[in-house]
Order: sequence, then structure tokens, then C-alpha cells
Amino acid sequence: MDFHTASKYASLLSKDYAEDIFALLVNYQAISASEVAARLNLHIKTAQDFLEALEALGIVSKEEVLEKKRPYYRYILQQTRLVIDIDLAQVKQEPSHHSLSLRIRERENAGARFSAARNDDYITSVAIWTGEGREREERKIKLTMPQGKFLFHLPFPKAQPMSVAEIMQKAGVDENLAPEVLDLVQLLEKYDVVESPPGG
Amino acid sequence: MSLVRKLKPDRSITGALIPLSMLPIFGLASLIFGIYIGMLTVTVMVGLWALYYLYVFLRTRSFPQLFLCVYAIFLCYMFAVAAENVNINRFEQLEYGLAYFTGLAFFGMVLIYLFVTRRVKWRGREIFELAGEPVEEIGDGYTSRPRPVGKVAYSPEQMRGFTRFCARHLIAVPYPTSKNITLVPIKMGEEYGRLLGLSGDYRDATWVNFDVDGEISVHIAHKDYLDYREQLAFDPLCASLGQVFIDFFELYNKGEGVRVIDRMDDLRIGIFS
Repeated sequence: MDFHTASKYASLLSKDYAEDIFALLVNYQAISASEVAARLNLHIKTAQDFLEALEALGIVSKEEVLEKKRPYYRYILQQTRLVIDIDLAQVKQEPSHHSLSLRIRERENAGARFSAARNDDYITSVAIWTGEGREREERKIKLTMPQGKFLFHLPFPKAQPMSVAEIMQKAGVDENLAPEVLDLVQLLEKYDVVESPPGG
Repeated sequence: MSLVRKLKPDRSITGALIPLSMLPIFGLASLIFGIYIGMLTVTVMVGLWALYYLYVFLRTRSFPQLFLCVYAIFLCYMFAVAAENVNINRFEQLEYGLAYFTGLAFFGMVLIYLFVTRRVKWRGREIFELAGEPVEEIGDGYTSRPRPVGKVAYSPEQMRGFTRFCARHLIAVPYPTSKNITLVPIKMGEEYGRLLGLSGDYRDATWVNFDVDGEISVHIAHKDYLDYREQLAFDPLCASLGQVFIDFFELYNKGEGVRVIDRMDDLRIGIFS
């Protein structure tokens, strides 16, 4: 299950009336939105939206029924166990050869403020200005130790760019920690603090 | 050696401003409260000055600074005596006159010697000139990030000895922590603010850091970078500043610390800048 689907499940399950609707679904062979609304004293739109969302997730199925030429749907529960199973490894950014060989350096006049640690050679935080005009605000990014060491060894603006892997090696950052370093690189690229010069 | 300066001329009067400010304070205090209070005010100010030099001596172990402290104490004492006897014109008394003028002659001559030989000169400007000397590339690229400049093998004792040397010769003020020693070069006129902690955190100043593993890193403050006439390429400038200290360390380690002083003296930078 991906994170997006899991968040939909969680959103539905967090409703106050979710348990009561599931109780109806599990005890009734088929039930309509108006029957659920009447039984639980809900607005029919609320009940219908909930059941439609369950149908979209495949938890219930619906069948069209005609009553006095007016069609409506009846919902039938398809599964009696709901399992939210998220593999967090899916969101882990496995370092690819391309991402580690990306040659980067600090962008000139990036406008970022770096705070160096007193006791060791690493950067503790980066302050970046975001937004324009009155919306302009300072965003401070606290760094982990490997990220701080990596940033400490990032080439200066106008210096020869180095690959992410080379900088990690120079900074003494273990290869296993590449995902968190790459995450920082992505973030700093987004805020124009680092650049990958063409042909660099 | 080339005498083409990379730094802008020093037109700052901050260093002279503090002793000079004693004059109008003396004048105003005398005008408002009388000559006795005026002289006492000067006595207190010179006393504070003596305390400052005593602190600098304790911080740097630079004996010329102790001499300045003793000189200030002498002046302080003479002003105090003069203030007590201001109405009986003590200057006409032979003993006072002798003590005052012989003291003044002695301290004056030693002071001139100390200034001419640059023993009381903070060497920040020399450091920045030496750092800028080999950098010909123009191109800015300033960043507030420190730059690792290399690794040197040294024992903690060697490092402590070198930092004592730097402090004693007013090359840089050391800020030791458990894991490293940071050397902050200070230009003439900036010493009051830096040493009295009025110039903010030393990590925002220009510094060279030596850590326990022998790693050396450099940070150049934006203010100091703007002091160069041209927008020198920042990366080589940082590397050069680090190299200046590495060279100094190696000379000191070979027992040739005097060559470090010679290198700085050869630049012939004004004694007050």
C-alpha cells in the first residue's frame, strides 16, 4: 500500500461515525446511503460520501437498484479485515549512481547563512530566506551531523564542483548515510543554495 | 617583496578615538564640576585603560601590553597626585616635576621603541595582506561558510605553543575549546571591541581553526573580505589564509618564529594600521 492510499484509509477511519457505519456494513448484506443516514442520524450526503470513498478504495462494492423508476445504490462489504500496511522503504531515497555523481557547489550569492559548530568541523544549521515582499521569511534548517559535515566540505561558489560521492568521502560521511545527504542536496537545490553547473 | 597592497588604505580612527575621547570628557567634567573632579575623571579613565591593558596582557602574555599597563598606572598615579594638589600648583615642586618628567621621558622612549618595532601592533592587517598576496584571480564568490584548507600533523602541545606564540606577538587571539583552537586575527583599532566582547561572537569574525585531528579550516568575515581593493576569488583567498597560518606554524615548529615576524615586518604596514 502506498502512503497516499494509506492516508485515505486513515482519513476515513478517523471519522466519528466510521465505526458505526462499518458496524452496519458488516451486519447488513447490503445497505443504501439513505438507510445508513436514517439509522445513524447523519445527513444523507455525509453517509453517501463516506460509502463512495469506501467504494473507491475497494472496501465495498455497489449495485444499482431501481425502485419506482428511481435508481439508487446499495453497498455491500467486500472485506472484513482492513489492514494498513505501509512499507516505509518505498519512500527511502536509494542513492542512484546518477545522484551520487552529480557535481555540485554552493551557488554564488545564495543568500543563505551558515552556522558552524564551535567544537568541530561541521555546519549546524542553514538559514534561508523564502518568499517575496511581506511574505518573505527566514527558514532555518537544522542539520544532522552527517549533513553538517557534508555541507562543511561543499565546494565554494566559483570553485571546481565536486560529485556528491567525492564530497561525502572528503567529509568522512559513510555511504550508508547517502539518503539523508541527498535529501539535503535536493532541498538546497530547491532553494537555490547549491547548483550543478553545466559541464561541471 | 611586492609592496602592492591588496587591502584598501586604513582610514579608521577607532583605535585613536578611545584615548582621544578622554580629552573632551576631561574638559566637560572640569567645566561642569570643577578642575578637581575633571582630573579625578581622567584618573579613573586612565585607570580603566590600565585595567584593559592588564587584561590584554593576561589574555596574550604579550609583555609590551604589560608595559602599557604600567605606563597607564604611572599616569593614573600622577593624575591622582596632581588632582589632590591642584590648588597649590604641585608642578612647581621639584620632586613632583622630577618624578613626572623622568617618568614621562622613560615611558615615552620605551613607547616609541615599542611602536617603531611594532611590538604593540596587532597584526591582522599583515595577515590579510599575506593571504591576499598570492591571489591574482578576481571573481568574488563570497560565502559565510568556513572552508577546510588541509591537514597538518601536530601534537596538542605543539599547537598550544604555536597559539601562545600567535597571542604573544599579537598575530591572533586564541579561543581554545576541548576539541580545537580557533585563532582570530585582529586589525589595529579593532582590538578593543574584539577583546572586550563588544564585536559579537568570535565565530562571526575571520578565524583559522585547528582541531585535534590536525584539520585546519578557515572563515573570512564579510567585512574583512570587503576590505580588499578587488573582489578576490574567495576560494583561493581562504586557502591562502589557511596556508599563511600553516607556514607560520611550520616556521615556529622549526624554531624560526622570528621569521614569521620578519615576514610581517617586511610588508611595512603603518604602525597604527
